[in-house]
Amino acid sequence: MQAKLRDLLITNILAIVLGLVASGLMLLFLGKNPVNAYSVLITSVVRDGYTFADIFVKATPLMFTALAFAFTYKANLYNIGAQGQFYIGAVIAAAGSLLLQNILPGWLVLIITLLLTIVGGGLWGAFIGFVKAKYNSNEFLVSMMSTYVALAIMNYSLRTFLMETKAEYPQTDALAASVWLPRIIPGTRLHIGFVLAVLACVGVWVLLYKTTLGYRIRAVGYNAGAAEMSGINAKKLYILAFFISGALAGMAGFTEVNGVQHMLVQGFNPDLGAAGIGIAILANGNPIGIIFAAVLFGALKVGGTIMGQMSGIPSSIIELMQGFVMVFVILSYFVRTWLENNREKRKLRKAVAK
Amino acid sequence: MIYLLSVTIMMGTPLLFGALAEVIAERTGMMVTAIEGIFLMGAWAGFVGGYLSGSLTVGFLAAMLAGLLVAGLYGWICIYLNQHQVVTGVAINLLVVGLCSFLHRVIFGVPITPLTVNPLATIPIPLLSKIPLLGEILFNQNILTYIIYLLAPFSYFMLYRTSIGLTIRSAGENPEAVDVAGINVLKVRFLAVLLAGVMGGVAGAFYSIGFLGMFTTNIIGGRGWIAFAICFLGNWNPKGAVIGTLAFGFAEAIAIYMQSIGNSALFPNELFIALPYIMTIVLTISRKSFSVPAKLGVPYLKEN
Repeated sequence: MQAKLRDLLITNILAIVLGLVASGLMLLFLGKNPVNAYSVLITSVVRDGYTFADIFVKATPLMFTALAFAFTYKANLYNIGAQGQFYIGAVIAAAGSLLLQNILPGWLVLIITLLLTIVGGGLWGAFIGFVKAKYNSNEFLVSMMSTYVALAIMNYSLRTFLMETKAEYPQTDALAASVWLPRIIPGTRLHIGFVLAVLACVGVWVLLYKTTLGYRIRAVGYNAGAAEMSGINAKKLYILAFFISGALAGMAGFTEVNGVQHMLVQGFNPDLGAAGIGIAILANGNPIGIIFAAVLFGALKVGGTIMGQMSGIPSSIIELMQGFVMVFVILSYFVRTWLENNREKRKLRKAVAK
Repeated sequence: MIYLLSVTIMMGTPLLFGALAEVIAERTGMMVTAIEGIFLMGAWAGFVGGYLSGSLTVGFLAAMLAGLLVAGLYGWICIYLNQHQVVTGVAINLLVVGLCSFLHRVIFGVPITPLTVNPLATIPIPLLSKIPLLGEILFNQNILTYIIYLLAPFSYFMLYRTSIGLTIRSAGENPEAVDVAGINVLKVRFLAVLLAGVMGGVAGAFYSIGFLGMFTTNIIGGRGWIAFAICFLGNWNPKGAVIGTLAFGFAEAIAIYMQSIGNSALFPNELFIALPYIMTIVLTISRKSFSVPAKLGVPYLKEN
């Protein structure tokens, strides 16, 4: 177990470094010195509290979408529609806040909106589980397609009932300051949503590993047939797992709208879902590991944005870094299996020699 | 209506390229979940090749090569390193988005006016295109459209009537048997994925240089996934793929048509844009029986 954990850490760190090196090499095409670029990046990320805190701001929604993927993954189900569930959450958060902000006190609006996004994102996700359970539909396909439907719904609402009063751009009016998520460090953008995300990670860990429900979900993931034999209702679990998964992704919409943007803008955060999957696999599906992996991806995002502000480096460097890191992380899975097999073989040889 | 049907056939072209590619690969047991990335890479490489050389042929060759490279990476990780197909696909798709937009910037900088090429011209077939109605719909298309609708029956024949087809199908149903027959399962799968890459690259390039004449990073917008879905809904059969393609091509044609006439009060544009995706969900639900290749998505590990 000790050796396994060591392998995990070393190979993952190596994967991250290689991913960054590969993206750095791409900078050569632009005639930029990657060493310079990265040193500017690192110094500017830690330059001031605002930028540094932004890492955790960016990590917040990523934790939710990563949890969304990891949770169903434990039941051997693929929810690759976290992006859509996030959009639904964001639309509900914006609509709920705008509707209630002048009627109710701010804190109450926040709580109601949070609950609404949980239910909304959850139901949007549960639909996938429902058709999987009832009609044996392919959840991978349905979740992917539901993202595009959610995108259309968001675009529609931004063009119609949620459109700003000026009616100029496809975005909502700004939310009243009373329904903004409170900042936890003054002078930065770091809001209480980050705490919520960390709590969600811990909560999902407890749910998965310390409760009967979590045990059942994992049992279905290991062997659905055997789980069914032992009296676990797999179909009910599909729906429930997808509800929780969708609710988690929906909460990302809440923290982004009420915590960061304070409005809903068309097409914002288009890669949360994909990055979430990357984080989940980097963390090996472990909810606690997701906290750290999400912070890393947050740092890539902040760093990439800073790089993008430097002369002549496009902001697509962010996707490039994320993509390379993800590919190398997948390769590190292979290296880990290989290392472990070698270890087993050595053990066997030793035993034979004795 | 003639216009709609003609657009249906045309918009079906890349979907059929992708769906047939996916059918062949999935029959060997490989879901090509990198298809969205392959499409995008093909669209980008096709545009770059076509723009820089001034020749669309070069563009399509570049697209094939780009698709081949992406598929090669995907196949290497999934087949030879036994990694997870869904997860690998998602990672590669994200990487491709980054690569395309980054390299596009490297090559073209920030152009003031959008760069364009002249898209593929239609080639009316003599005599046949003069047939009323049908001629306009079927025989006044571009070269790729003719090619793919001819390739569809050919691939059906190959899958079900030749020994290559038998090998392909067996690799997905009973890889052990293929192995015993002395055929390298991994190689069969890898070659099928590479073929899917080449076809997917052409499909992607169809969007950039086959019909729009330009490139943006959201040019594919889930069409790769639609091709992926058509393969599922068409029951892993070229015949089903053609039917599915026509249905989705029609949905796209309606979307294009509705957008061109502006917003109607009754049905918002977004509904038509989302139509192919909604259709996929509805069809996935309503299909009762599937003949999924038995080893779809399962890596083949030889015991030694």
